[in-house]
Amino acid sequence: MLTQYMIVSALLIAIGATGVMIRRNFMIVLMSLEVMINGAGLLLIAMSYYIGNVSGQVMFLFVAAVAASETAVGLAIAVMMYKKKKSVDINDFSILRK
Amino acid sequence: MEAIVFYIIAIITVGGALGVLLSKNPYRAALFMVLTFFGIAGLFVMLHAQFNAMLQLIVYAGAIAVMITLTMMVMNRRTLEGLKRFNPQWYWPALIGAGLVADLGLLAYKFRIDLSNAGKNLAMDGSNTKLIGEVLFKQYLLPFEVTAIILLVALLGAVVLTKRDIK
Repeated sequence: MLTQYMIVSALLIAIGATGVMIRRNFMIVLMSLEVMINGAGLLLIAMSYYIGNVSGQVMFLFVAAVAASETAVGLAIAVMMYKKKKSVDINDFSILRK
Repeated sequence: MEAIVFYIIAIITVGGALGVLLSKNPYRAALFMVLTFFGIAGLFVMLHAQFNAMLQLIVYAGAIAVMITLTMMVMNRRTLEGLKRFNPQWYWPALIGAGLVADLGLLAYKFRIDLSNAGKNLAMDGSNTKLIGEVLFKQYLLPFEVTAIILLVALLGAVVLTKRDIK
């Protein structure tokens, strides 16, 4: 049963990584990041269940807090770039290099 | 019986993730993301992590999804929906994603632990919340405080980024 949980987690992480790489909409890039974080958290909790240690579940608490912070900062960047460029296209975000 | 429920929830979860990846409309992608969060919460309930399932529903399906949706609500709808779906160079990242699936799946297939006593040695007597609270406030007290500081820093950073006058 652990193998199935690991395969679901692998699918979620790979789908999220692919979404971060190939989508052009910055909002969907943030959503794919959340999907990746959830895949990693599923692996943490499955391992915590099968090893028999509750520390993995505590680790997911920290993961959720850091993910919420990261989403808040990412959405702030999205709002800032929308004010400046009136767009949420990733290709317009290359002005951040200058 | 448990395997059937697991496969149903897993199909819902992976389907939601694929919906986030493939849907052109970002609002629909946000709803697919909420579906994925609900599926993950169901898997957490199956793994006897009830506290984390509730945290998933409240923090992810509640707070983060509402944050993303409200941020999309203040933008122009044509700006959000008028984009092309994929990058023009979509094939190499898709190949990298397929390779990641193959790699992690092979790892999961070869990583066969002896699961004869799986879940038996987890102290399931008493509530899951009590167990997490004891471990969190005895062993992990310093990371807990550091997490509070991280949340404060993220709040200040978001306010500074959003309220700054852009030249």
